[in-house]
Amino acid sequence: MTVDSNVLLALDLGAATASAALIGPVDGRRRLLGSVALPAGVSEDRLVDHLLDRVRRADPALAEVLGLDDDASAAITRLVVRSIAPPTLVVLAPTVRARLGVERVAGLAGWRTRGASLDPDGTIGLTRTALERGVDALAVAGEPPTSREETAALAELAATVAGVVSRPIAPPLIRVGELAREELGLEPQVPTGEGSIYAPGPEAGDPAGEPLRRLFERLDPTGPTARRSALTALTDLASVLDRRIELIEIGFDGGLRAVAGPHGLEAPPAFVPAAAAVPVDLDDETVDEVLAWSTVALDRHRMRDRLRDLRLSPWVEAHGDGARLRLAAARAAVTRLVAATPWLESLPAPDLIVVAGGAWAAAPGPAIALAIADVVRRPGTSQLAYDHARLLGPLGAVEDPDERQALLAELADDLLAPLGSLIVPVGLRPGRTAGRLTVTGPAGETSLDLVPGGLQLVDLPPGQLAVVDLRFRDPVGMGTRGRHLTVQVGGGLGGLLVDLRDIPLRLPERAERRRALLEAWQAAFWAGGDE
Amino acid sequence: MTVKLATDQAGTDQADLGRGLELVPARRLLDPEPVARFDLAPGDRILVAAGDRVSVGVGLAERQREPRVDDGPPVAVAAELDHPPLRAGDWWPGDGHETGGPLRRRHPRSPAGELLHPRDGRWRIATGAHVDLLEAPAPGVVGEAVPGRGLTIRLSGTALIGSFAAGIPSRGRLERVIGESGLRGALDVGRAGAILAVDGRIDSEAIIRARATGVRGVIASGLAGKDLRDLQASEARQRASLQPLAPFSVLVLDGTARRPLAGPMADLLAALEGREVAIVVDPPRLVFDPLSPAVGPPARDRIRVVGGDLIGREGRWLRTAGLRRFAAGVHLEAAAIVLDDGEVAIVALVDLERFI
Repeated sequence: MTVDSNVLLALDLGAATASAALIGPVDGRRRLLGSVALPAGVSEDRLVDHLLDRVRRADPALAEVLGLDDDASAAITRLVVRSIAPPTLVVLAPTVRARLGVERVAGLAGWRTRGASLDPDGTIGLTRTALERGVDALAVAGEPPTSREETAALAELAATVAGVVSRPIAPPLIRVGELAREELGLEPQVPTGEGSIYAPGPEAGDPAGEPLRRLFERLDPTGPTARRSALTALTDLASVLDRRIELIEIGFDGGLRAVAGPHGLEAPPAFVPAAAAVPVDLDDETVDEVLAWSTVALDRHRMRDRLRDLRLSPWVEAHGDGARLRLAAARAAVTRLVAATPWLESLPAPDLIVVAGGAWAAAPGPAIALAIADVVRRPGTSQLAYDHARLLGPLGAVEDPDERQALLAELADDLLAPLGSLIVPVGLRPGRTAGRLTVTGPAGETSLDLVPGGLQLVDLPPGQLAVVDLRFRDPVGMGTRGRHLTVQVGGGLGGLLVDLRDIPLRLPERAERRRALLEAWQAAFWAGGDE
Repeated sequence: MTVKLATDQAGTDQADLGRGLELVPARRLLDPEPVARFDLAPGDRILVAAGDRVSVGVGLAERQREPRVDDGPPVAVAAELDHPPLRAGDWWPGDGHETGGPLRRRHPRSPAGELLHPRDGRWRIATGAHVDLLEAPAPGVVGEAVPGRGLTIRLSGTALIGSFAAGIPSRGRLERVIGESGLRGALDVGRAGAILAVDGRIDSEAIIRARATGVRGVIASGLAGKDLRDLQASEARQRASLQPLAPFSVLVLDGTARRPLAGPMADLLAALEGREVAIVVDPPRLVFDPLSPAVGPPARDRIRVVGGDLIGREGRWLRTAGLRRFAAGVHLEAAAIVLDDGEVAIVALVDLERFI
C-alpha cells in the first residue's frame, strides 16, 4: 500500500520527553490525526510505530485511505527537531558585577553560564573555571578602572586570560566591551585559527545588551534546535493568523519567550537556560521558588531531593504529587523567564499566549491556564492556547517559508488547544465589589460581581465566542483605561478567567496559608487535582 | 495511584511483548568500556602521560590542598634557551631544592608548581605546601592528561552504572550489608578496606562512621541530598585539618528516594561479594573484573517500578493498557505488569524501567 504523499510525521525529540504527531489530509485539508508523548529514552521508530498503531485503531478507514499499514512508518516524510543541551560560556572578569552583566546577556541568548572573577576567586579560581570540561567559549569582560587597585586587577586578569588562551585546550575567546580590547591590551592567541572575537559591552544598545545578545546567539554552536525552530513557527503563525502572539515555552534544558505580530517579532526573543523546568545548577533560590508555588507540603531538603530526582528522571511519577510538583516547578520556571525579560513584560497584552514545552506534558489544560495567569501578570485580555502535540518546533523546521506558512495555516486550529481567555484589570481599589461583569455567549447571559483580589471563572467551552461587558466603579487599566469596557473572548478548556488579583501577585508569607490559597485557586481549575 | 488487579486477567500477548515493552524507558545496567574522569585544578601535578598503562594504586596525580600563586622562573628570551620554551600548563620542578649540596641559608629561588602565565618578566605558578596523592582505583590506560583540567582513564573491566557519586575514587573488597541492623553491625574496624553495598536505609552518620572505621566506600540505592551534603562537609573539615585523606567514596545507584536495590543490581552485587571492586565518581560507576559466568541484564520482560505507590517493586511485563487516568486527574499511557507476588497491577508506563 502506498502512503499518501501529504502524510507527515512531526517529531519533537526533547531532552526529557519525545513526542510524535501524525499529520494527514482529511477532506482536502491537512489535519492533525494524532499525537503521543513518551519518555526520551524510547526509540524514534518505536515512538512512530506506537502512534501509527493508535491511529489505525482509532480510525481504520482513514488509515486505509492514507495507506498507513504496518510498513508505512519508513515511507512517511518526517519533520524532526531535537532538543540539544545549551552550550556553556565561562565569563572571566575582575569583579562579580562585571561578570554578572555578561552572564545575564549570554543567559538570554541560550547560553548556560558560569564564571569567575579575580575578586573573590583569584587567579587560580579563574584559571580553573576557564579550563573545566565542557566549556564551549570563554568571555572576558571588565569595567573601566577608577583606581590604581582596579588597574592592577585588570592587568592581572589580562595576564591570566593570556595564560589560559595560550593552552592548546582553551576554548574560543570572546572579548566583551571596548575595555577588553583597549585597556587589557589582549592579543588574539586562540590557536584554533579563528582568533578572538570582540563584542560590544553588556550595556550597549537598546534595549541594553541587545547587540551582545545577538552576537551570542550567532555564536551558539548547537545549531538549529527545537526551541529555535519554534520561534520560526511562532513568527509565521502570527503572520498567518494576523494576531499578536506570545510564546512561553518551558523545557528540560531551558525556556523561550517571544512576542510576534503580523509583521514579525515585536521585540528581541529570549532563550533562557535558567528557565529550565529544573535547572542543572539547583541552588537554594531555585528550591525556594518552587516551594513558593508548591501545594505539596515539603521541607526544603525534601524539595531539593524531589527536584534532583526530577532532573535525573524527568518523566517518572507524572501523576499525583508528582504532577503538582511539576506544575510548581513550571510556574517557578516561568517566573524566572518573566523576570529575565522585562522588555517583553512591558509590551501590551498579546491577543494570544501560546504555552509550549515538555514541562507541561502531563498537566491538565485548565491547570496550565491558571499557572500562566499566576505568573504572567500583565493587564489586558488575552486568549490562552497550548501546543499540545508539540508541533511548533517541527513545523518551524520546514525550510521553505511558503510551505511552512501554508502548513501552519492549515493546522492552526489543530495545533493549538484552546485553554481559555484571561481578563486581567489593574488599578482595582480594595472593597467588597469593584463592579459587575456580564458574559453574553451562545449559552445565554451570565452576570457576576467583580470582587477585588478574587479569581473568577466563567464556563465557556472551547470553540465558543462570548462578549464580556465589564462595568467598574472606578477606572481600571486593561491596555486602555476606563470604567466600562467590552471585549470579545474565546472559550477553552479552562473557560474564561477573570483575574482580579494583585499585579504582581502577592502570596502569604506563611507556607501553610500560601499552600491553602494556592490549593483554593487550583481547585476550580484542576479536576481531581486533590487526589 | 496504581491499580492492582486480583488475578492475572490475561496472559502475555507475545506481539505486545516485543512492541509494548520497547515503550518502557530502558536503563543500561553495565558499561562494558568504562572511562573514568579525574578532575584536577591548576597546581595539581600529573604523574602519568597519555597512553601510559596504569595498575591499581599507581599515583596518577598530586592534588594541592590549598593552592596558591607564587613567582616561578624568569621568562627567558628565545635566544637564551637551550631547551624548548616554557608554556602555560608546564610543570616547573622548582629550583634551589634539589641540588643535593649543603643546606642553603637562603630560601629556594622558586617553588615547584604549574606555570600559569608570565607577568613582569617572570612566570606565575600555582603551587602549594600540602598534596594528596590521587591513586588509580582500577587498572587501565591513560587517555587524556591535561594540566589544570584532569585525566581520563580507559579502565579495564566492566562497570555497574550508578546515578551519582561523591568522594575520592576508591577500591576495596565488596561486602554486602542487609538492612539497618546489618549496617550497624558492619561498622567496625573488621570491615576496614571494604566497600559496603547496603540494601536498606543509610544516612550520613552511618557513612561517616564507616569512613572512620576504614571502610573505603559505600554503595546504596538511594541517599538523601542532605546526607550527601553532610558527608561532603565532613570531608571538607577533614581536609582543612590537613590530615591525609584516605580514598573513600559513595555510589548511589538510583536517586534520593529510599527504595530497595534493583533486583539485577542486587544479583550482580551478590555475585561480586568478596571480590575487589572500585568506585569511580565521574561518571558514577562500580568497576569490577568481568565475572565468569558473566552476570548480565535480566530477562527481557523483567520490569521495575520506579514511581508511584509500588516504587521499588519488580515483576514481569504483561501488556500495554492504553491511556488511563491516574491520581490528580492526569492521563498517561499505562501498562499491565505481573508483580513478583503474582498480583497484576496497572502502572503508568513512565513509572517503569527495564534493564538492558
